[in-house]
Amino acid sequence: MQTTLQENPDASERAFINQVIASQSDRPGALLGILEAVQEHHPRKYLPMETLRYIAARTGIPPSIVYSVATFYALFNLQPQGENTICVCRGTACHTRGSRNLLETLRLELGFGREDESDEATDSDKLVLTTEDQRFTVRTVACFGQCALAPVVEINHKICSHVNEHTLQRQVRELERESK
Amino acid sequence: MPQTISIRIDGELVSALQGQTILEAAKQAGKYIPTLCYFEGLSAVGACRLCIVEVAGTDKLLPACTTPVQDGMSVTTTSPKLTQYRRIALELLFVERNHVCAVCVSNGHCELQNLATSLGITNMRHWYNYPNLPVDLSHKRFVLDHNRCILCTRCVRVCAEVEGAHVWEITERGISSRLTSGLNQPWGQVTDCTNCGKCVQVCPTGALAEKGWAVEEMVKQNDNISGLAHRKGGQ
Repeated sequence: MQTTLQENPDASERAFINQVIASQSDRPGALLGILEAVQEHHPRKYLPMETLRYIAARTGIPPSIVYSVATFYALFNLQPQGENTICVCRGTACHTRGSRNLLETLRLELGFGREDESDEATDSDKLVLTTEDQRFTVRTVACFGQCALAPVVEINHKICSHVNEHTLQRQVRELERESK
Repeated sequence: MPQTISIRIDGELVSALQGQTILEAAKQAGKYIPTLCYFEGLSAVGACRLCIVEVAGTDKLLPACTTPVQDGMSVTTTSPKLTQYRRIALELLFVERNHVCAVCVSNGHCELQNLATSLGITNMRHWYNYPNLPVDLSHKRFVLDHNRCILCTRCVRVCAEVEGAHVWEITERGISSRLTSGLNQPWGQVTDCTNCGKCVQVCPTGALAEKGWAVEEMVKQNDNISGLAHRKGGQ
Protein backbone atom coordinates (compact mmCIF):
# COMPACT_ATOMS: atom_id res chain seq x y z
CA MET A 1 0.00 0.00 0.00
CA GLN A 2 2.87 2.34 0.79
CA THR A 3 4.45 1.92 -2.64
CA THR A 4 1.23 2.68 -4.50
CA LEU A 5 0.85 5.80 -2.40
CA GLN A 6 4.18 6.98 -3.77
CA GLU A 7 3.47 6.32 -7.44
CA ASN A 8 -0.20 6.96 -7.78
CA PRO A 9 -1.58 9.64 -8.06
CA ASP A 10 1.43 11.31 -9.69
CA ALA A 11 3.28 14.31 -8.23
CA SER A 12 1.27 17.07 -9.94
CA GLU A 13 -2.02 15.36 -9.12
CA ARG A 14 -0.92 15.00 -5.52
CA ALA A 15 0.05 18.68 -5.38
CA PHE A 16 -3.41 19.60 -6.68
CA ILE A 17 -5.14 17.37 -4.12
CA ASN A 18 -3.06 18.85 -1.30
CA GLN A 19 -4.01 22.33 -2.44
CA VAL A 20 -7.72 21.48 -2.57
CA ILE A 21 -7.59 19.91 0.86
CA ALA A 22 -5.80 22.96 2.26
CA SER A 23 -8.36 25.33 0.74
CA GLN A 24 -11.27 23.34 2.23
CA SER A 25 -9.55 23.28 5.64
CA ASP A 26 -11.47 21.57 8.43
CA ARG A 27 -14.91 22.70 7.38
CA PRO A 28 -17.50 20.01 8.19
CA GLY A 29 -18.58 18.26 5.02
CA ALA A 30 -15.34 19.30 3.31
CA LEU A 31 -15.00 15.82 1.84
CA LEU A 32 -17.76 16.44 -0.72
CA GLY A 33 -16.08 19.58 -2.03
CA ILE A 34 -12.70 17.88 -2.13
CA LEU A 35 -14.00 14.89 -4.07
CA GLU A 36 -15.86 17.13 -6.51
CA ALA A 37 -12.84 19.36 -7.20
CA VAL A 38 -10.50 16.40 -7.60
CA GLN A 39 -12.86 14.60 -9.97
CA GLU A 40 -13.35 17.74 -12.03
CA HIS A 41 -9.57 18.13 -12.27
CA HIS A 42 -9.05 14.61 -13.58
CA PRO A 43 -8.93 14.50 -17.41
CA ARG A 44 -11.21 11.46 -17.43
CA LYS A 45 -13.60 12.97 -14.84
CA TYR A 46 -13.36 10.16 -12.32
CA LEU A 47 -11.86 9.24 -8.96
CA PRO A 48 -9.35 6.41 -9.20
CA MET A 49 -9.09 4.14 -6.16
CA GLU A 50 -5.57 5.37 -5.44
CA THR A 51 -6.81 8.95 -5.39
CA LEU A 52 -9.48 8.03 -2.84
CA ARG A 53 -6.82 6.32 -0.73
CA TYR A 54 -4.59 9.37 -0.98
CA ILE A 55 -7.42 11.75 0.00
CA ALA A 56 -8.24 9.54 3.00
CA ALA A 57 -4.61 9.51 4.10
CA ARG A 58 -4.18 13.28 3.69
CA THR A 59 -7.41 14.33 5.38
CA GLY A 60 -7.41 11.69 8.10
CA ILE A 61 -10.96 10.72 7.14
CA PRO A 62 -11.38 6.92 7.39
CA PRO A 63 -11.11 5.28 3.93
CA SER A 64 -14.47 3.60 4.49
CA ILE A 65 -16.20 6.99 4.78
CA VAL A 66 -14.44 8.32 1.67
CA TYR A 67 -15.56 5.28 -0.31
CA SER A 68 -19.07 5.46 1.17
CA VAL A 69 -19.52 9.09 0.15
CA ALA A 70 -18.05 8.48 -3.31
CA THR A 71 -20.49 5.64 -3.97
CA PHE A 72 -23.56 7.26 -2.41
CA TYR A 73 -23.65 10.27 -4.71
CA ALA A 74 -24.36 9.64 -8.39
CA LEU A 75 -22.18 12.68 -9.14
CA PHE A 76 -18.98 10.76 -8.43
CA ASN A 77 -17.54 8.30 -10.91
CA LEU A 78 -15.21 5.50 -9.93
CA GLN A 79 -14.73 4.49 -13.58
CA PRO A 80 -13.11 6.61 -16.32
CA GLN A 81 -15.70 8.57 -18.28
CA GLY A 82 -15.91 8.86 -22.05
CA GLU A 83 -15.15 12.08 -23.94
CA ASN A 84 -18.85 12.69 -24.51
CA THR A 85 -21.50 12.13 -21.88
CA ILE A 86 -25.08 11.41 -22.82
CA CYS A 87 -27.52 11.40 -19.96
CA VAL A 88 -31.00 9.98 -20.48
CA CYS A 89 -33.74 10.98 -18.06
CA ARG A 90 -35.64 7.97 -16.71
CA GLY A 91 -38.09 9.96 -14.63
CA THR A 92 -41.81 9.28 -14.81
CA ALA A 93 -42.69 12.06 -17.26
CA CYS A 94 -39.85 11.15 -19.61
CA HIS A 95 -40.67 7.46 -19.27
CA THR A 96 -44.24 7.99 -20.38
CA ARG A 97 -42.94 10.00 -23.33
CA GLY A 98 -40.72 7.10 -24.41
CA SER A 99 -37.33 7.56 -22.75
CA ARG A 100 -36.84 3.80 -22.58
CA ASN A 101 -36.80 3.69 -26.38
CA LEU A 102 -34.27 6.52 -26.40
CA LEU A 103 -32.02 4.58 -24.09
CA GLU A 104 -32.47 1.49 -26.25
CA THR A 105 -31.57 3.52 -29.35
CA LEU A 106 -28.42 4.78 -27.68
CA ARG A 107 -27.45 1.31 -26.55
CA LEU A 108 -27.77 -0.06 -30.04
CA GLU A 109 -26.20 2.96 -31.71
CA LEU A 110 -23.11 2.79 -29.49
CA GLY A 111 -22.91 -0.99 -29.50
CA PHE A 112 -23.84 -1.89 -25.92
CA GLY A 113 -26.50 -4.40 -26.94
CA ARG A 114 -30.04 -4.59 -25.68
CA GLU A 115 -30.55 -4.07 -21.99
CA ASP A 116 -31.83 -7.54 -21.10
CA GLU A 117 -28.79 -9.13 -22.72
CA SER A 118 -26.12 -7.49 -20.59
CA ASP A 119 -26.24 -6.46 -16.94
CA GLU A 120 -28.99 -7.44 -14.56
CA ALA A 121 -29.47 -4.03 -12.96
CA THR A 122 -31.40 -2.75 -15.96
CA ASP A 123 -33.86 -0.32 -14.49
CA SER A 124 -31.60 0.91 -11.71
CA ASP A 125 -31.32 4.67 -11.40
CA LYS A 126 -27.57 4.57 -11.76
CA LEU A 127 -26.81 3.01 -15.12
CA VAL A 128 -23.39 4.04 -16.45
CA LEU A 129 -21.99 2.57 -19.66
CA THR A 130 -18.80 3.65 -21.41
CA THR A 131 -17.85 2.53 -24.92
CA GLU A 132 -14.66 0.53 -25.32
CA ASP A 133 -13.04 3.31 -27.35
CA GLN A 134 -13.74 5.66 -24.41
CA ARG A 135 -15.56 8.14 -26.60
CA PHE A 136 -19.07 7.89 -25.18
CA THR A 137 -20.56 7.43 -21.75
CA VAL A 138 -24.28 6.77 -21.46
CA ARG A 139 -25.90 7.26 -18.09
CA THR A 140 -29.38 7.55 -16.68
CA VAL A 141 -30.72 10.03 -14.19
CA ALA A 142 -33.87 9.93 -12.07
CA CYS A 143 -35.11 13.39 -13.10
CA PHE A 144 -33.70 16.64 -14.53
CA GLY A 145 -36.62 18.68 -13.28
CA GLN A 146 -37.47 19.58 -16.87
CA CYS A 147 -40.55 17.39 -17.10
CA ALA A 148 -42.46 19.84 -19.32
CA LEU A 149 -39.80 19.23 -21.99
CA ALA A 150 -40.05 15.43 -21.77
CA PRO A 151 -38.41 13.33 -22.95
CA VAL A 152 -35.16 15.00 -22.00
CA VAL A 153 -31.62 13.94 -22.87
CA GLU A 154 -28.55 15.80 -21.68
CA ILE A 155 -25.67 15.74 -24.15
CA ASN A 156 -22.38 17.09 -22.82
CA HIS A 157 -24.19 19.16 -20.17
CA LYS A 158 -26.66 20.62 -22.68
CA ILE A 159 -30.32 19.77 -22.17
CA CYS A 160 -32.11 18.64 -25.31
CA SER A 161 -35.89 18.70 -25.08
CA HIS A 162 -38.62 16.69 -26.82
CA VAL A 163 -36.02 14.26 -28.08
CA ASN A 164 -37.05 11.48 -30.41
CA GLU A 165 -35.06 8.55 -31.72
CA HIS A 166 -34.24 10.36 -34.99
CA THR A 167 -32.88 13.54 -33.43
CA LEU A 168 -30.94 11.55 -30.86
CA GLN A 169 -29.37 9.39 -33.54
CA ARG A 170 -28.45 12.49 -35.52
CA GLN A 171 -26.83 14.15 -32.49
CA VAL A 172 -24.81 11.04 -31.66
CA ARG A 173 -23.56 10.70 -35.24
CA GLU A 174 -22.61 14.35 -35.27
CA LEU A 175 -20.58 13.86 -32.10
CA GLU A 176 -18.98 10.77 -33.60
CA ARG A 177 -17.85 12.79 -36.62
CA GLU A 178 -16.58 15.68 -34.47
CA SER A 179 -14.51 13.60 -32.12
CA LYS A 180 -12.92 11.56 -34.88
CA MET B 1 -28.69 17.29 37.10
CA PRO B 2 -31.39 16.95 34.45
CA GLN B 3 -34.92 17.71 35.46
CA THR B 4 -37.17 14.82 36.41
CA ILE B 5 -40.41 14.65 34.46
CA SER B 6 -43.26 12.18 34.48
CA ILE B 7 -44.69 10.41 31.48
CA ARG B 8 -47.21 7.66 30.98
CA ILE B 9 -46.11 4.38 29.41
CA ASP B 10 -49.02 2.05 28.66
CA GLY B 11 -51.10 4.01 31.14
CA GLU B 12 -48.61 3.63 33.96
CA LEU B 13 -47.12 6.79 35.41
CA VAL B 14 -43.30 6.63 35.37
CA SER B 15 -40.63 9.22 36.00
CA ALA B 16 -37.95 9.99 33.45
CA LEU B 17 -35.10 12.42 33.08
CA GLN B 18 -35.27 15.34 30.68
CA GLY B 19 -33.22 14.44 27.60
CA GLN B 20 -33.81 10.72 27.85
CA THR B 21 -35.36 8.91 24.92
CA ILE B 22 -38.65 7.06 25.23
CA LEU B 23 -36.73 3.79 24.97
CA GLU B 24 -34.39 4.66 27.84
CA ALA B 25 -37.27 5.76 30.02
CA ALA B 26 -39.20 2.59 29.21
CA LYS B 27 -36.21 0.37 29.98
CA GLN B 28 -35.72 2.13 33.28
CA ALA B 29 -39.35 1.50 34.13
CA GLY B 30 -39.03 -2.15 33.19
CA LYS B 31 -41.12 -1.85 30.03
CA TYR B 32 -40.14 -3.83 26.95
CA ILE B 33 -39.97 -2.24 23.51
CA PRO B 34 -38.60 -4.44 20.71
CA THR B 35 -35.41 -3.08 19.10
CA LEU B 36 -33.05 -4.22 16.38
CA CYS B 37 -30.68 -1.49 15.21
CA TYR B 38 -30.45 0.02 18.71
CA PHE B 39 -27.53 -1.04 20.86
CA GLU B 40 -27.03 0.43 24.30
CA GLY B 41 -24.01 2.71 24.38
CA LEU B 42 -23.92 3.31 20.63
CA SER B 43 -25.54 6.28 18.93
CA ALA B 44 -29.16 5.62 17.95
CA VAL B 45 -30.04 5.83 14.25
CA GLY B 46 -33.74 4.88 14.27
CA ALA B 47 -33.32 2.83 11.12
CA CYS B 48 -35.08 -0.48 11.77
CA ARG B 49 -38.45 0.98 12.89
CA LEU B 50 -39.01 -1.94 15.27
CA CYS B 51 -39.13 0.33 18.33
CA ILE B 52 -41.98 2.46 16.98
CA VAL B 53 -44.50 3.52 19.61
CA GLU B 54 -47.76 5.44 19.63
CA VAL B 55 -47.65 8.83 21.28
CA ALA B 56 -50.94 10.48 22.24
CA GLY B 57 -51.54 13.61 20.21
CA THR B 58 -49.85 12.51 17.01
CA ASP B 59 -50.93 10.06 14.32
CA LYS B 60 -47.34 9.27 13.43
CA LEU B 61 -45.63 6.26 14.89
CA LEU B 62 -42.40 7.47 16.48
CA PRO B 63 -39.17 5.53 16.99
CA ALA B 64 -38.63 5.17 20.74
CA CYS B 65 -34.84 5.07 20.40
CA THR B 66 -34.54 8.60 18.99
CA THR B 67 -37.62 10.40 20.34
CA PRO B 68 -36.89 12.40 23.51
CA VAL B 69 -39.39 12.27 26.36
CA GLN B 70 -41.57 15.27 27.08
CA ASP B 71 -43.41 16.13 30.24
CA GLY B 72 -46.88 14.64 30.27
CA MET B 73 -46.23 12.42 27.24
CA SER B 74 -48.45 9.36 26.94
CA VAL B 75 -46.80 6.42 25.17
CA THR B 76 -48.32 3.13 24.03
CA THR B 77 -45.79 0.36 23.41
CA THR B 78 -48.08 -2.44 22.25
CA SER B 79 -51.18 -2.31 20.12
CA PRO B 80 -52.52 -4.22 17.11
CA LYS B 81 -51.45 -1.31 14.89
CA LEU B 82 -47.89 -1.34 16.23
CA THR B 83 -47.65 -5.12 15.86
CA GLN B 84 -48.84 -4.81 12.28
CA TYR B 85 -46.22 -2.18 11.41
CA ARG B 86 -43.44 -4.01 13.24
CA ARG B 87 -44.29 -7.14 11.28
CA ILE B 88 -44.17 -5.23 8.00
CA ALA B 89 -40.75 -3.83 8.91
CA LEU B 90 -39.45 -7.31 9.74
CA GLU B 91 -40.98 -8.95 6.69
CA LEU B 92 -39.33 -6.41 4.41
CA LEU B 93 -35.98 -7.10 6.09
CA PHE B 94 -36.46 -10.82 5.51
CA VAL B 95 -37.39 -10.61 1.84
CA GLU B 96 -34.54 -8.21 1.05
CA ARG B 97 -31.74 -10.75 1.60
CA ASN B 98 -31.36 -14.52 1.78
CA HIS B 99 -32.15 -15.33 5.40
CA VAL B 100 -32.10 -19.09 5.61
CA CYS B 101 -32.27 -19.80 9.34
CA ALA B 102 -31.82 -23.58 8.99
CA VAL B 103 -28.23 -23.23 7.76
CA CYS B 104 -27.22 -20.16 9.80
CA VAL B 105 -24.60 -20.11 12.55
CA SER B 106 -26.88 -17.86 14.57
CA ASN B 107 -29.98 -20.04 14.31
CA GLY B 108 -31.63 -19.92 17.72
CA HIS B 109 -29.52 -16.99 18.91
CA CYS B 110 -30.51 -14.48 16.25
CA GLU B 111 -32.20 -11.22 17.21
CA LEU B 112 -33.94 -11.00 13.85
CA GLN B 113 -35.26 -14.54 14.19
CA ASN B 114 -36.32 -14.02 17.81
CA LEU B 115 -38.24 -10.87 16.93
CA ALA B 116 -39.97 -12.64 14.06
CA THR B 117 -40.95 -15.46 16.40
CA SER B 118 -42.26 -13.10 19.06
CA LEU B 119 -44.27 -11.15 16.50
CA GLY B 120 -45.77 -14.37 15.17
CA ILE B 121 -44.29 -14.24 11.68
CA THR B 122 -44.46 -17.69 10.12
CA ASN B 123 -44.31 -16.83 6.44
CA MET B 124 -43.71 -13.85 4.19
CA ARG B 125 -46.49 -12.12 2.32
CA HIS B 126 -44.08 -10.80 -0.30
CA TRP B 127 -41.79 -12.39 -2.83
CA TYR B 128 -38.21 -12.84 -1.77
CA ASN B 129 -35.66 -10.74 -3.64
CA TYR B 130 -33.03 -13.51 -3.78
CA PRO B 131 -30.15 -11.11 -4.45
CA ASN B 132 -26.89 -12.68 -5.58
CA LEU B 133 -24.54 -11.75 -2.74
CA PRO B 134 -20.97 -12.69 -1.86
CA VAL B 135 -19.52 -14.03 1.39
CA ASP B 136 -16.25 -12.44 2.55
CA LEU B 137 -14.01 -15.12 4.05
CA SER B 138 -10.79 -13.12 3.76
CA HIS B 139 -10.45 -12.31 7.46
CA LYS B 140 -8.54 -14.96 9.36
CA ARG B 141 -10.95 -15.13 12.29
CA PHE B 142 -14.27 -13.76 11.07
CA VAL B 143 -16.79 -14.09 8.26
CA LEU B 144 -19.00 -11.48 6.61
CA ASP B 145 -22.05 -12.98 4.94
CA HIS B 146 -23.94 -10.29 3.04
CA ASN B 147 -26.89 -12.65 2.65
CA ARG B 148 -27.68 -12.27 6.33
CA CYS B 149 -26.94 -8.56 6.71
CA ILE B 150 -29.85 -6.28 7.58
CA LEU B 151 -27.82 -3.03 7.32
CA CYS B 152 -28.56 -2.10 10.93
CA THR B 153 -25.11 -0.39 11.06
CA ARG B 154 -24.40 -1.64 14.58
CA CYS B 155 -20.99 -2.86 13.38
CA VAL B 156 -20.33 0.48 11.66
CA ARG B 157 -21.09 2.35 14.88
CA VAL B 158 -19.29 0.07 17.30
CA CYS B 159 -16.16 0.18 15.14
CA ALA B 160 -16.26 3.96 14.76
CA GLU B 161 -17.44 4.92 18.24
CA VAL B 162 -15.92 2.34 20.54
CA GLU B 163 -12.97 0.80 18.73
CA GLY B 164 -12.18 3.96 16.77
CA ALA B 165 -11.02 2.11 13.68
CA HIS B 166 -14.01 2.90 11.43
CA VAL B 167 -13.44 -0.08 9.19
CA TRP B 168 -17.10 -0.46 8.21
CA GLU B 169 -19.38 1.79 6.24
CA ILE B 170 -22.48 1.41 4.10
CA THR B 171 -21.78 2.05 0.43
CA GLU B 172 -24.07 2.68 -2.52
CA ARG B 173 -27.69 3.37 -1.65
CA GLY B 174 -31.22 2.08 -1.77
CA ILE B 175 -31.55 -1.55 -2.74
CA SER B 176 -27.84 -1.70 -3.72
CA SER B 177 -26.65 -0.68 -0.23
CA ARG B 178 -23.91 -2.95 1.05
CA LEU B 179 -21.76 -3.16 4.11
CA THR B 180 -18.19 -2.49 2.99
CA SER B 181 -14.87 -2.65 4.76
CA GLY B 182 -12.18 -0.06 4.08
CA LEU B 183 -11.95 1.09 0.48
CA ASN B 184 -14.17 -1.76 -0.71
CA GLN B 185 -11.35 -4.17 0.09
CA PRO B 186 -11.70 -7.72 1.34
CA TRP B 187 -11.98 -7.51 5.12
CA GLY B 188 -8.76 -9.43 5.66
CA GLN B 189 -6.82 -6.83 3.70
CA VAL B 190 -8.04 -3.80 5.66
CA THR B 191 -5.01 -2.72 7.67
CA ASP B 192 -7.12 -0.46 9.94
CA CYS B 193 -8.94 -3.48 11.35
CA THR B 194 -7.68 -4.37 14.82
CA ASN B 195 -9.30 -7.83 14.77
CA CYS B 196 -11.10 -6.94 18.00
CA GLY B 197 -14.32 -8.66 16.97
CA LYS B 198 -16.70 -6.08 18.46
CA CYS B 199 -18.56 -5.82 15.17
CA VAL B 200 -19.06 -9.58 15.20
CA GLN B 201 -20.43 -9.59 18.73
CA VAL B 202 -22.87 -6.72 18.23
CA CYS B 203 -24.20 -8.06 14.91
CA PRO B 204 -27.81 -9.09 15.59
CA THR B 205 -27.79 -11.80 12.90
CA GLY B 206 -25.28 -14.27 11.52
CA ALA B 207 -23.97 -11.74 8.99
CA LEU B 208 -20.81 -11.24 11.02
CA ALA B 209 -19.68 -14.41 12.73
CA GLU B 210 -16.61 -16.14 14.02
CA LYS B 211 -15.09 -18.81 11.87
CA GLY B 212 -15.19 -22.35 13.13
CA TRP B 213 -18.80 -22.50 14.33
CA ALA B 214 -21.37 -24.78 12.81
CA VAL B 215 -25.11 -24.16 12.46
CA GLU B 216 -26.69 -22.81 15.69
CA GLU B 217 -23.33 -22.59 17.46
CA MET B 218 -22.50 -18.89 17.23
CA VAL B 219 -23.69 -17.19 20.44
CA LYS B 220 -22.88 -13.48 20.51
CA GLN B 221 -21.00 -12.23 23.57
CA ASN B 222 -21.89 -8.55 23.68
CA ASP B 223 -22.75 -7.93 27.34
CA ASN B 224 -19.54 -6.01 28.02
CA ILE B 225 -19.64 -3.80 24.93
CA SER B 226 -22.28 -1.40 26.26
CA GLY B 227 -20.22 -0.88 29.41
CA LEU B 228 -17.15 -0.25 27.29
CA ALA B 229 -19.09 2.26 25.19
CA HIS B 230 -20.31 4.09 28.29
CA ARG B 231 -16.74 4.39 29.53
CA LYS B 232 -15.80 5.84 26.15
CA GLY B 233 -18.45 8.50 26.70
CA GLY B 234 -21.26 6.95 24.67
CA GLN B 235 -24.92 7.59 25.39
